[in-house]
Amino acid sequence: MALSREAYRELEGIVGKENISDDPALLDCYRYPLSHTAIHIGPYYRVYTPRGAAVLLPGSAEEVQGIVKLCNKYRVKFKPSSTFWSAWGFPLEDDTIQLDMRRMDRILEIDDKNNFAVVEPHVIGATLQAEAMKVGLNTHIHGPGASCSCLASATALGGLGPDTLYMGHHNENLLGVEWVMPDGEVLRVGSVGSGLGWFCCDGPGPSLKGLVRGMIGTNGAMGVFTKCAIKLYPWPGPAPLPVEGKPPAYKAVLPDNFRVYTLGFPAWKAWADSCYLIFDAGIGYVAHRQFSMFGRDLKGAMVRILSDPTKTLSDIEELLKDPEVQKMTEDMKRDYQIVLAGMTPGDIEWQDKALDKILEETGGWKVKAMLEPDLYNWSLLYMIRLGHKNLNLVYGGGYDGCFGLGGTPDFGASGEPPRVEQATAFKVEWEKKGNVVACGGDAMMGGIGGMGGGGHALWENFTHFDPADKASTEGTFEFFNATDKYGMEKGFGPGMEKMNDYARWTDGKTTPKEIRDRILGAAAQPEAFRYQRKFKETFNPNDLGDGYYRTLDDPIE
Amino acid sequence: MALEDYKVDMERCSQCSYCKWIPFDQVKSWRFAKGCPSIAYNNFLSYSARGRYAVALSLLNGQSTYSDRVVDIVYKCTTCGSCDVSDKICRYNLEPLEMIHELKFRLVEDGQVLPQLTAVIEHLGKENNMMMKSGANRGDWAEGLDVKRIPGESAEVLFYAGCRFSYDEELQETARSAVTLLKNAGVDIGIMGVDESCCGGRAYDMGYKEEFTRLAENTIKAWTAAGVKTVVTPCADCFRAFSRLYPPLGAKFEILHTVQYFDRLIKEGKIKFSKTIPMRVTYHDPCHLGRQGEPYVPWEGKEKKVKNQIVVYEPRRPRYNGAWGVYDPPRDVLKSIPGLELVEMERIREYAWCCGAGGGVKEAYPDFSSWTATERIEEAKSTGAEAIVSACPWCERNFIDAINAAGEKLKVFDVTDLVKQAI
Repeated sequence: MALSREAYRELEGIVGKENISDDPALLDCYRYPLSHTAIHIGPYYRVYTPRGAAVLLPGSAEEVQGIVKLCNKYRVKFKPSSTFWSAWGFPLEDDTIQLDMRRMDRILEIDDKNNFAVVEPHVIGATLQAEAMKVGLNTHIHGPGASCSCLASATALGGLGPDTLYMGHHNENLLGVEWVMPDGEVLRVGSVGSGLGWFCCDGPGPSLKGLVRGMIGTNGAMGVFTKCAIKLYPWPGPAPLPVEGKPPAYKAVLPDNFRVYTLGFPAWKAWADSCYLIFDAGIGYVAHRQFSMFGRDLKGAMVRILSDPTKTLSDIEELLKDPEVQKMTEDMKRDYQIVLAGMTPGDIEWQDKALDKILEETGGWKVKAMLEPDLYNWSLLYMIRLGHKNLNLVYGGGYDGCFGLGGTPDFGASGEPPRVEQATAFKVEWEKKGNVVACGGDAMMGGIGGMGGGGHALWENFTHFDPADKASTEGTFEFFNATDKYGMEKGFGPGMEKMNDYARWTDGKTTPKEIRDRILGAAAQPEAFRYQRKFKETFNPNDLGDGYYRTLDDPIE
Repeated sequence: MALEDYKVDMERCSQCSYCKWIPFDQVKSWRFAKGCPSIAYNNFLSYSARGRYAVALSLLNGQSTYSDRVVDIVYKCTTCGSCDVSDKICRYNLEPLEMIHELKFRLVEDGQVLPQLTAVIEHLGKENNMMMKSGANRGDWAEGLDVKRIPGESAEVLFYAGCRFSYDEELQETARSAVTLLKNAGVDIGIMGVDESCCGGRAYDMGYKEEFTRLAENTIKAWTAAGVKTVVTPCADCFRAFSRLYPPLGAKFEILHTVQYFDRLIKEGKIKFSKTIPMRVTYHDPCHLGRQGEPYVPWEGKEKKVKNQIVVYEPRRPRYNGAWGVYDPPRDVLKSIPGLELVEMERIREYAWCCGAGGGVKEAYPDFSSWTATERIEEAKSTGAEAIVSACPWCERNFIDAINAAGEKLKVFDVTDLVKQAI
């Protein structure tokens, strides 16, 4: 059912004529191409998310509240999104109202005594980090990078990233939320709800953090979060970042209390052991298997290209013939990057010694080529600002992660051969078919220390393809189907390649109920989704969200 | 290239949002982090490079048709190229600025035009200037100047004033000063006066490619007939037209901006300063001298794939991302002036904020244009500078208008003005 003129006029009355549109071409800007990368359901060649009924740009929580109440009055679904990274933020059904939260973009407060910031939805990692650094603080920037909404990652998505080792998952950093609930009422969750400030999401006051976001988040399917408080962490460096160089190869020379290393290891067991030793030692500021996303065979050449403003992808074949690049690539085969940040001179001295000891114990090394000033200063800036995160799309325009070997650091590293090598060998065979980039099979990227400073690692095997090429897109999809089957057979558990099948289906719309029920019913803890149904019945009585909120209809056992 | 040729770019665009911001590595504050004036002012996603990719694809696929909103989306872009710099931080193979130009060209071809721009272009066709003035008066700015007149006389260097400096009475003195400074430094210089016509660059950015081509071909013909080898211009718009848009049409002239020439002459000791200017100033990089002022590199080739699906070009395609624009010469000139203190704004060089005067926006959307200029003025004020200095009369005019409208005190200078004051 299209939006009635009456409803449109009432919505226009709330946000003003300049902040609402139902022009078809404009609405098509709010559709996500599932040919590209559907994170993680496709890719489907030339399939788009549905066209909305209208797009609105609310400017305040009061306007959001008015919109949501009208949506309840007219029984129209609504979908809020802040920075629109991936298909999650786009409607699942035709004629949904898309809320673009862009106008709500203020940093309302940075409390440098209690280490938190209060932000609106469209504040991004780069701007919050820049402002926090001015007062000696820093913010976690989650995996998709500095372009993405801090609020969305803290309230409505997973929120893990390279600096999770030191700054946690964003769900851990959430200290309070202003929530326009699906029925249009406003609830302030945590201590702020009792008028005590934004210091704790679990009270004193209404403690609904688990319901509001849980571990994975509600993906914009349960009302609208209009502001939140985020925990900040110490930043022992300069503000602003002293960036130099020509684009796109910007670099930063930071003071002597910073280090960035690419560490290499002789075996996967040594790789995993080093992670545990780093957790035990409590060292590190950022730690991520980052540049491996370009692929085991190509990453040496790629970091050379990316750190040199005169080079382009056309240089890759020549660079691959260079013996020094080949040596560097081999040194980086089993690697990750780590940033050390010393809070005092003594601290960085101690962290250096601890790291050297860890390398001595595991037989690891600092990759020499990555210590050259250009590469060193480039990779240091890259890891701290995460301003180049969409380089995962540089090859052909499309990527998606598969396998997603999540678990303890030795989960991927153990097995015979190690699971990471099994996954690599499997992908290499598919690379021979020509539809995905032949990068050496292992393009596994991920943090080494999620979950509050340790204990969890992720191996998301990047698969690069061309979304404008039908054969490449469809070949990638076939590969993902095979990967899914292989991973389950091998006991790797459910991979990332299908993790949103429960919500969005091949036509870009809501997954059919019988398939959704089958997927969610087979999950490790389906009872959680039955409880969520009860939550939805209570908080979202008119069912105006979408299938990204996971529920099962059968009774709680 | 036709709009259809960019369809693969439209499908490869990953909606990363980089096009809306300055390069994230360069973000120094919340206040001055935005890069694209169009989406910063209009807010809907459609007013970004990503949005324009999506609108173009929707039109090409027949999913939507022209509407007032589509026309607004397409023309409400200053074509400043900020998106082009930020996109290429990660997406080496996308060309959003080229696509936006093609989209404007297509709308003009299809008769989807704005009356404000039509009026300018119709006048341009008759009088060869963008200023709605008589072509017969084009040389008036140089009245009384003791300088050679080309083609009647010959000179080693042609000084090309451009439309704005030729007709804007408040700014004309800058052009006169530039000619005098160059001549006094020993440069054998001449002007074309009434025989000069518009470079066509602004028509190109408005979407009128045919009109641009007509003007460019006429200018190339006139220069060739007059034996011109080197052209120096004080206008960034003209500089970019001559150095980037003319070579594909066969032009082979050495093109310099006055700031480059001044920089050279100062370093050679041919311009010497005798006065002190005790003033704190900040420099605004014009888009067409900075990120769009990179040298033209001829290329003809095609896309190919290596390693199965890595998109590359054969032969190697030049990348225009602002890395090699003209940034240091104006700064070096300002730094060489005794007493002058140059302080930088947050958004500079390839990621400078646009003045708001380009792409036909000043003519068609004066409120948006003025807002964009005001944003830059706020940034200039935040440095504590007394004046904003630039090297483009279109930027300077837009700043002056916005400052006057707001009752601000900030002064506006061209680099030339300060060089003249210091001698």
